[in-house]
Amino acid sequence: MEVTTEMATVSVLGVFAHVDTTLQAIRDLRAKGFGDLTVYTPVPVEEIEEEVESVRPVSTVRLFTLVGGLTGTATGFFITIWSSLKWELLTGGKAVVSIPPFVIIAFELTILFGGLASALAILVLGRLPRFRPSATYDPRFTLDRFGVAVSCPPDHADSASSLLSGAGAEEVRR
Amino acid sequence: MSGMDRRSFFKVVATTGAAAAAGGCGPSAGQLLPYVVPPDNIVPGIPAYFSTVCRECPSGCGLIAKNRDGRVIKLEGNPDNPINTGALCIRGHAGLQGLYHPDRFRGALAGGKPIAWEEAEKQLADRVGALAKAKQAGRIAIVSGLETGSLGRLMDEWVRVVGARPRLSYEPLAYEGLRAANRVAFGRDSIPDYAIGDASYLVSFGADFLETWLSPVAYTSDFSRMHAFYQGRTGTFVHVEPRLSLTGANADEWVRNAPGTEGQLALAMLKVILDDGLQAGGGELATLRAAARSADVEAAASASGVPAETIRRVARDLARSRAGLVIAGGMAGSGSSSTDMLVAVNLLNTAIGAVGSRIRFGSGSAFGKASPYSDMVALTQAMAGGQIDALILVDVNPVYSMPAKSGFVDALGKVPLMVAMAGRSSETTVRAGLVLPTLHPLESWGDYSPQDGVIGLMQPTMGPVQIEGKPVQAKNPGDTLLSVGRQALGFEEGKGPLRWPTFRDFLTEEWQKIARDHGSTEPFTDFWEGALRRGGVWRAPQSAAVALRPEAGRISGAAPKLEGEGSHVLLVYPSSRFYDGRGADRAWLQEAPDPMTQVTWDSWVEIPSETATRMGVSRGDLVTVKSPHGSIELPAYPTDLIHPGAVAVAMGQGHKLPGAYASGQPAPAASNPQPSTFLNVGANPVDLLGAAPDPASGGLPHLAVKVSLTPTGRRRALAIPQATFDQDERELAQYVALGSARELELRGRPPADASKPSMYPSVKYAEYKWGMTVDVDRCTGCSACVVACQSENNVPVVGREQAAYGRIQHWLRLERWQEGPAAQPLNMFMPMFCQHCEVAPCEPVCPVYAAYHTREGLNGQVYNRCVGTRYCGNACPYHVRRFNWFNYTWAAPLDQQLNPDVTVREAGVMEKCTMCLQRIIAAKTQAREDRRAVKDGDMQTACQQTCPTRAITFGNLKDAGGETSKLSLSPRGYHALAEIGTQSSVTYLKKVVRAEPGGSGHPAGGGHRG
Amino acid sequence: MSAPPVGSGQATWADVNRDVDRTLLNAGNTYFAWMTVIALILACGVAAWGWQIATGLGVAGIRTPQMWALYITNFVFWIGIGHAGTLISAILYLFRAKWRTSIYRGAEAMTVFAVMTAGLFPLIHVGRMWFAYWLLPYPNQRYLWPNFKSPLIWDVFAISTYLTISVVFFIVGLVPDIAAIRDRSTGLKRKIYAVCALGWEGSDWQWRHYRRAYGLLAALATPLVLSVHSVVSFDFAMALVPGWHSSLFAPFFVDGAIFSGFAMVLILIIPMRAVFGWHAYITDRHLDAMAKLTLVTSLVLTYFYLCEAGTAWYSGEHYERASLFARAFKSYKYTFWLQYICNSLIPLVLFWRKARTNLVILYVVSIFVLIGMWLERFNIIVPGLGYDFYPYTWGVYLPRVVDSTITVASFAWFFLLFLGFIRVMPSLSIVEVKEVLPHPLKHSAHGGHH
Repeated sequence: MEVTTEMATVSVLGVFAHVDTTLQAIRDLRAKGFGDLTVYTPVPVEEIEEEVESVRPVSTVRLFTLVGGLTGTATGFFITIWSSLKWELLTGGKAVVSIPPFVIIAFELTILFGGLASALAILVLGRLPRFRPSATYDPRFTLDRFGVAVSCPPDHADSASSLLSGAGAEEVRR
Repeated sequence: MSGMDRRSFFKVVATTGAAAAAGGCGPSAGQLLPYVVPPDNIVPGIPAYFSTVCRECPSGCGLIAKNRDGRVIKLEGNPDNPINTGALCIRGHAGLQGLYHPDRFRGALAGGKPIAWEEAEKQLADRVGALAKAKQAGRIAIVSGLETGSLGRLMDEWVRVVGARPRLSYEPLAYEGLRAANRVAFGRDSIPDYAIGDASYLVSFGADFLETWLSPVAYTSDFSRMHAFYQGRTGTFVHVEPRLSLTGANADEWVRNAPGTEGQLALAMLKVILDDGLQAGGGELATLRAAARSADVEAAASASGVPAETIRRVARDLARSRAGLVIAGGMAGSGSSSTDMLVAVNLLNTAIGAVGSRIRFGSGSAFGKASPYSDMVALTQAMAGGQIDALILVDVNPVYSMPAKSGFVDALGKVPLMVAMAGRSSETTVRAGLVLPTLHPLESWGDYSPQDGVIGLMQPTMGPVQIEGKPVQAKNPGDTLLSVGRQALGFEEGKGPLRWPTFRDFLTEEWQKIARDHGSTEPFTDFWEGALRRGGVWRAPQSAAVALRPEAGRISGAAPKLEGEGSHVLLVYPSSRFYDGRGADRAWLQEAPDPMTQVTWDSWVEIPSETATRMGVSRGDLVTVKSPHGSIELPAYPTDLIHPGAVAVAMGQGHKLPGAYASGQPAPAASNPQPSTFLNVGANPVDLLGAAPDPASGGLPHLAVKVSLTPTGRRRALAIPQATFDQDERELAQYVALGSARELELRGRPPADASKPSMYPSVKYAEYKWGMTVDVDRCTGCSACVVACQSENNVPVVGREQAAYGRIQHWLRLERWQEGPAAQPLNMFMPMFCQHCEVAPCEPVCPVYAAYHTREGLNGQVYNRCVGTRYCGNACPYHVRRFNWFNYTWAAPLDQQLNPDVTVREAGVMEKCTMCLQRIIAAKTQAREDRRAVKDGDMQTACQQTCPTRAITFGNLKDAGGETSKLSLSPRGYHALAEIGTQSSVTYLKKVVRAEPGGSGHPAGGGHRG
Repeated sequence: MSAPPVGSGQATWADVNRDVDRTLLNAGNTYFAWMTVIALILACGVAAWGWQIATGLGVAGIRTPQMWALYITNFVFWIGIGHAGTLISAILYLFRAKWRTSIYRGAEAMTVFAVMTAGLFPLIHVGRMWFAYWLLPYPNQRYLWPNFKSPLIWDVFAISTYLTISVVFFIVGLVPDIAAIRDRSTGLKRKIYAVCALGWEGSDWQWRHYRRAYGLLAALATPLVLSVHSVVSFDFAMALVPGWHSSLFAPFFVDGAIFSGFAMVLILIIPMRAVFGWHAYITDRHLDAMAKLTLVTSLVLTYFYLCEAGTAWYSGEHYERASLFARAFKSYKYTFWLQYICNSLIPLVLFWRKARTNLVILYVVSIFVLIGMWLERFNIIVPGLGYDFYPYTWGVYLPRVVDSTITVASFAWFFLLFLGFIRVMPSLSIVEVKEVLPHPLKHSAHGGHH
């Protein structure tokens, strides 16, 4: 949230107690052309999510997972086949390179790398960890309050706050 | 040729020659590399081989001692020696543990306290001198073991010069009965050579010739020559004994007779032969008739419990075979009436024309020269009567081996000075006023003649063993007696009647005579070196004509007199592992399971099953065995393999010995369950016997008492590694009836055994594919291979508790499997070790490739890669993999015996048979030097090399001409657990049986199985 | 199953935070008394292990033919326990079974700690544990790599993957809750939780990636959990041993694992609910659901038992039959039959509705199930090896002090971790519980479903 850094803009925060009012505020702001919104929710709420996501591309997490998974598969087969060929040791009359057992290794590595990549995605895409709370954050947002933060040029701030309170914000601050 | 192959034997010859030239003896065992100036006969890392004679028992087999960097690390049979032709028995191998025994004397002792050697000698010399001066030398007695060579002659010379009582050669098992019978029957006071190998039909009355009787190694290989199935031919062996001994278990028919009825049976057979006119020609018919007159088949049958029909059949088959032989001994051979019985056997042999052909009086056994037990009794009386002032005991332990009733121990108290010359502490030495330690035979010069015409030459195969950094202070008894004698009679060295400076000089002088006797024309040094290389000199066995004396006709088949009112006849038999008890302080022998019962680390009393159930005792319950002369307490071993009227106890256990090792000084590491007090376990059955010698033979009657059994209510579980003798239809050991075997021989391998289908790619082997074959028909279960493997491969001893709990480390185990009715089973002996499977279940499961398949078909085990998941141990269907549960250690100086070519495994790693990989590598190195491939017979595995029956072969399966490849294609061949598809590299050959187990004794067609 | 509105006394979002908050960092003396006892037991186990390392495995009862015994039994047992956790947290998540929300955190913690316990046993088991790292594929100049054909190496990969993914999944789930705790706390406590929360704020930006990643993780964990116990079962199925060498083993083991896992979950959450007074969130409906699943898995297991015996019998193969007979009627007959009583008969009581919600019955049944499942592994390993192909080496394994102590201590280790966890981290998922509570609405007429 570069809001803090950019002197050109100010951010207005509306604190809501209800899902529907929050949703209302988002809709109104969007209607009035306020694009740069940040919505805080204690839990993911499908209605709000739909509203917010409607204007964004799908999250790219799945790409991380896919790449991670495929890397795992490749690594699995490579390490098993390559290392068996290093010494070509016979065991139990089996072929030196016998694929069926190697499938298990490949599978496990697929899961492992895929999983780790997904976790990585949360950090990278979710910009975590963050060391200083954003200016508009309020501890109540992990309890039972919703927040809608609008960042806009100073001259639009008034209309933004009026929209927020209009939608039923308990509290509006700049 | 048998045994070690020629080429590697010439190597032996060369090195021994060099050794002999260099005084025969390497640097003393403690000196370790690097040498500043290496002795010229020791090349670091290259073993030198010395030929000598095994002195573990009076059989006197030839030895080849492998000396590596100054230490003897392995014993093998001497392939040139006519007695054992390259084989060696379990006790022979354990000789090494006698050499490196932790209880060996470090130096002379007086009253148990260390004393300077000279001082000790002086004390003895003064006493002897004083007595000699006072013309009292007759009060000096000397008792030695059976010394038929120069040492014996030197001792006799010493006795003559000093004027002492005639020397006694004391052997606890001296076969007085055989000698007496030969005196009566043929007028010869000797024990002939029995050519078992030449017989086609052998009847044994209790002679345990595969275990201890006279010369077990020789007779075992003879037996295989006579009995093993070869090109459709095979001999028949009938064993008559109340208890199924190891020997009996190898018989085609075990005739279970009531104890003491052997004489009657022999006479009954004689009668049958004479009545049917089947006797061989000869003038003695009258005598035979006279003897047989009293005999009655039916009476014998009812007395012995042997069906009359059986008696007749065996007698007829024996006579008709035209190459029959009857031998007798064991318990049957030493009872109050045993002389008559043995005479009867002589008559039987005469009747079937065996005397002079298969019984050769020309080459009599050394036992013929042993002093009878009665002489020991006389000596004991003299001692008790205060007629003995100085008693010198040379390498004998009468305190243990004389019956308690003989009063020998008390008599010792009456002897002012008892001097023990011995290598290790024993019941006798702890009572000695003076102990003058002797060198171990492997450290000394000497010679020994096990039978007429065979003289084995002994040379030091290494210097005296070092303990705590110092060589043990010991001498050859010959040297000790020479210097004592000189001091006593006040002569300078080299002067007087005992002029020889050392025993070796005496020996050389003796051998100059021997050279003359053998009409050697070469210079003596050549003759001497030749003898050293060869291990002695020998002639072909000779047969002397003997005539039956009429006295032989005046015998009765009376049963022996048995003392006591007990319920069961006591059968005291010599142990196949401990002999008369002299082997009991070897941990190897204690841990090697008894082949019949598989018991380790203990002695036991065999009780007929029905008696056991009646008494309510089961295996391991302690039972008191009481005779009129004493009582002992032993764990019960209920069995169907003994006459209901008898109980049996093996000799050799129940020592009472305060030795350091024997009484277990605390194990070096807490992690090491080394055998603690194992020696004093069990009981000595001889204490149950009376002391009176049998008047007829002068021997100690072993079949002499009846005992009563009473349960004590306490238990001492026996340590038995084999869970069951029943194969549970798994066909591990297989057999085929004689008829089918012959058929197979003609037809060749049945197509059924064609190559098995496999989903795996077939492995191609470039040059070698090592494999082995084991002939179950040849294996007699003697267990020599078990200990041979143990000594070659540094296999640790784990102790009683571990052995009982399935943690025995043996790489090779000797299994006994039983088929058919419990009372008349077919016994099969089967050495089981790593099968080096083609499709080895143990290999792929190892996560770190510690177990893998070598490019030569071996199932490799990389110790230092092993992490110890023990998955392979589960996967192996044969359970031949051994895990190191602890850090096993070797009580010093036993560790000096370890084979430097084999890793000593640490705790936590898996180990198993490697087919003696170190030997394979040596053979390949040699072959590479000779720019050729390894040929068949270039090397032998330890188990193969020692096997008296040549049941085991090893070789390259790719070499189609090789013995092993040929045998592995034998129609009798099979793989253990073949159906699970392991495709093992070890081929077993089915045992050939005369009759299906459970069928009558008749040779039956019988469908072949497996 | 459809989502029941949590609890009757309708809790608000604030209540949830409060109820979870109060369970943290305020343990009483009884708690520490228990922890001390557990720690002492664990100490004995550690001492036993030390003694075993110092002297060699001989001090444990292992022998020929039972080269494996208690240690591997415990290993399989604990791995199995883990499975229920992943099943509840991942598979039920994918099925959108909302009732899972109030128990999944506890179950997931159980998974992680169970796997951490199981992971110790291969180390305790091997002869030279100081070389155990040789099982890992690490580069070295001699190119010594593990044998990827060995089921034990499959284990190494399966277990380590399983542990990693479970931990990741676990932590990801925790982050928003930790943030909630952070915001309700002050001082040092706040600082610590702030670090753990990674600065979570619940902004739409964070949620959108979080939700998707969480779903994907669940999707990955599902095949994983099924594969892990299959791989473990291969340790046995890939060996020739009669009674082991069976293609039945993979599903057989997985089902057994989940079965035992559910029992362990019940054993953990029933007291947890009582102590923390979470009746509002963990209701009888939840217990009922768990009990039903336990019953189902038990029935499936019974079916596998019948198959196992049936195949052994009808195979007509001597070794298989002999092995079955030996297990049922020789030295180990008691453990053999007790296993069936515990796993197949006793759970049948759960057909009875009242039993499913009766805490005592449920608890007792769960304990029997754990005993039964432990015995199942024991019976596969110890008697199975005791009566295999080669009669010469047949033998009876007897546990010694060392292996018994270590077995008991493994439970101590598990409970030490679990009890420690529930006092420092939210063992009830604040976010997910709130999610299934009715969302606050101003105009209830207005849309938004519950």
